Order: sequence, then structure tokens, then C-alpha cells
Amino acid sequence: MINRLARFAIIFVLLILMQILLFNNIQFSGYVNPYIYILFILLLPIEIPAWLLLIISFATGFTIDIFTGTPGMHSAATVLAGFIRPWVLRLSSPRDGYEAGTDPSMLIYGLRWFLIYASIIVFVHHLALFYLEVFRMADFFRTMLRVILSSAFSLSFIVLLEYIRRGK
Amino acid sequence: MRNLLNFLAKYNHLIVFIILESIALYMLGTANSYHNTRIVRGIRGLAGGFERRVSNVRSYFHLRTISQSLARENALLRTSLDRYRGEQGKVFFSVTDTVLSQRYTYTSAQVINNSVNRQKNFFTVDKGRLHGITPDMAVIADNAAAGIIVGCSDNYSVAMSLLNLDFRLSARFRSNSYFGSLSWDGRDDRHAVLSEIPQHVTFGLGDTIETTGYSAVFPEGVLIGTVSDFEKTGGDFFTIGVLLANDFRQIRHVTVIGSLMKEEQLELENLYK
Repeated sequence: MINRLARFAIIFVLLILMQILLFNNIQFSGYVNPYIYILFILLLPIEIPAWLLLIISFATGFTIDIFTGTPGMHSAATVLAGFIRPWVLRLSSPRDGYEAGTDPSMLIYGLRWFLIYASIIVFVHHLALFYLEVFRMADFFRTMLRVILSSAFSLSFIVLLEYIRRGK
Repeated sequence: MRNLLNFLAKYNHLIVFIILESIALYMLGTANSYHNTRIVRGIRGLAGGFERRVSNVRSYFHLRTISQSLARENALLRTSLDRYRGEQGKVFFSVTDTVLSQRYTYTSAQVINNSVNRQKNFFTVDKGRLHGITPDMAVIADNAAAGIIVGCSDNYSVAMSLLNLDFRLSARFRSNSYFGSLSWDGRDDRHAVLSEIPQHVTFGLGDTIETTGYSAVFPEGVLIGTVSDFEKTGGDFFTIGVLLANDFRQIRHVTVIGSLMKEEQLELENLYK
């Protein structure tokens, strides 16, 4: 239990550091900003209580907010992602269900399952994030393009990170 | 009562969700006063220390460009100094005159955190209230407009970058002094948009755009950029694309400019509003 807690703490710190030191500085043509810290929400144990998941989501988003100077923006988007996670898990559940005591990771349930699960949550998170950032409907389609492109990039990086984790 | 408790137990996650989302949206809604609220000031101090360390490492990679831009600025200052020296050498000149007193204060600072990839970009500089920085001061980098200070802690300040959808600046042509409103459309970090220029104004591609000084934030005649393209829009106005003089991905050394007479000007203007 303590072991597991420590593991998640390390993943949390690593993802936050990667996000603020590396990925916040990445940009291709102003349309793509990958946000990979959402992987932490994806990886939390399956049987985690919904309220705890929400509080952890808020804390994660708020930490990013502090370092990017965007009060509430990442918090709101991440809480939304944490809120829909139980539904997405149920929706994408494998035929023989989830094994007790496992994490919803690619290592256990495979790439195909992970892609479906992750893409829905990443897309909803980015959708909320980018529209909250712009906060107007004037550039609706341009923002939608940014959401789609950034989601695709975030998802690729997240899958890549999962492969690296498997390699270890 | 029992029903209520059952309801709460069943939907506890929904309630937690609503509470947390409200907190987040509330923070988002009060974002403008955010930088000055007390709790956040403490947290920003913490994040500021972290950013300072990261920026220390990063600045090593930019030493060449930094020294080049400083050398350029030196040359410019030396040129203008020579010009004044020439003028003053002719006549003996010593008058204590309040009209000729200093109008602006200049504080040099370093950018320690910056973004260009969001729709509302801010950057953090390493000088704060203790160094005499207050909100609504102008920030220039490489002698060209870069942003406006919006919040200060004791040692750090946050400035709204020109690359921010909320940024507005009164700007004009250096050649003919027609002025309009400069803003950023959120598309490209090298270009801004100058609007409200009437269609009878003549100008060409490459014409210089500078600040007007009407807002009492920026001094008059600070470089912004050059005209890169333009189109006619409805209502007899031009919409002009401005290639910014600053590359916001590179800004590092900035100068914060405070107007000593801003209060006086605003006070007077408010009398007639």
C-alpha cells in the first residue's frame, strides 16, 4: 500500500516536472500545446473512490495552474476529466471486466483498450481547457482545430510515455 | 431527512464535483484580481523561486543572443547620448525647472517565466514591489513594446504580454501619426493587428508602427513593429497586420517603465469624463 502510494507520488512529481519544464515550452505553429500531465488521472487505481479521484484531479490541475499562472483553468478541466473517468472506464471495459487491484494502464489491458480510454478523457480535458482559455465563441472552429491537434499530440506523447514505462 | 442522507451518500461524487468545479471557475472568473490576492501571492513567491532557478539554467543557452542585443542597445544609447552632448555643448544650460523634470523611471529586469503558446499569455519578471514596480507600468524588450505589468509581489511581477487577447494599445504610424488600436488576434506569435485606421490614410508595407503615449502607460514613440499586410474591412477602416519587432520566444532582458506623471494626467482626465 505504502509502496503503491510512493509509486504514484513519484509518477505525479515526474509528470508535473515534465509538463512545466518540457511540454509547456513545446509548440508547433501555435496550434499544438500538448498537456501530458493528464496521464496521472488516467493511471490512478480503478477502484479509487469517485470523491478522492475528484480531489486528486483538482490538486493536479491546481499545481499546474500555479506554475503556468492560469488560476482555475487547468483545475476546472482536470476536475471534469476526473468526473467523467468512471463512466469512460465502464464504457470501455474489456469483455471479462477489470481485475481487482489493478491500475488502468496500457501494460495490463493493452494498447487498443488504452487508446479508447485515454482518447476520450484527453479530448474532453483539452476541449474544456482550450475553450475556457479563449472564453469566447468568436474563434469557435479555430479553437476546435487546436483542441483536435493538441489532443492528438498529447495522446501520442502519453502512449509513448507508457511504452517507456513498460521498457523499464 | 433519511432520504436526503441517502441522496447525499449516493451522489457524493456529484456534490464534490460541483463544489470543486465551482471553486475552479470562481478562481478563473476572478483572474484579474488574482495576482494580488494574498494567498496566491505567497504561492507565487514559491513558484517564482522555482522559475528563477530554471531560468538561471536556461539563460546560459542564450548568452550569445543576450550580449548581442545588449551591445545593440548600447550602440543606440551612445548615439543618442552623443546627439544630446552636441546640443548642450553649444549653450550653457542650468535651470531648475519643474517642466523639464524627469517623466519616466526605467528599471532593468529579467524575464524568468514566459509563454507564447496560449491565448492569454503572461510573463514574469524578477523585480517586484521592493524595486518600485507597480501595476500598469510598461514593459519593453529590445526597445520595443512587450507588455504591461498587471500584478506584483515583493520580488516578482507578472506582466500581460502583448500576445494576450485582452491586450490593447494605442498605436500610430511613425510617418504620418494617424493612430489606431493595436491588439493580438491569437493566431501567430509574430504578428499583431492594428485596427481603426481610416481608409484615406496612405501608408506602405514596412512602415513603422509606434506607441502614441495617450494611455500614459507607454512613453511616446516606442517601437512596436512594421506593417506586413493589410486589408480593407467594412466601415471604411483598414485592418493592418503588424510584424512585431520583438520575438516573444526570445525575450529575456526587459526594461520596466513607470510614468511619474501618470496619476496627474489620469486625475485631470477623469475630471472631464
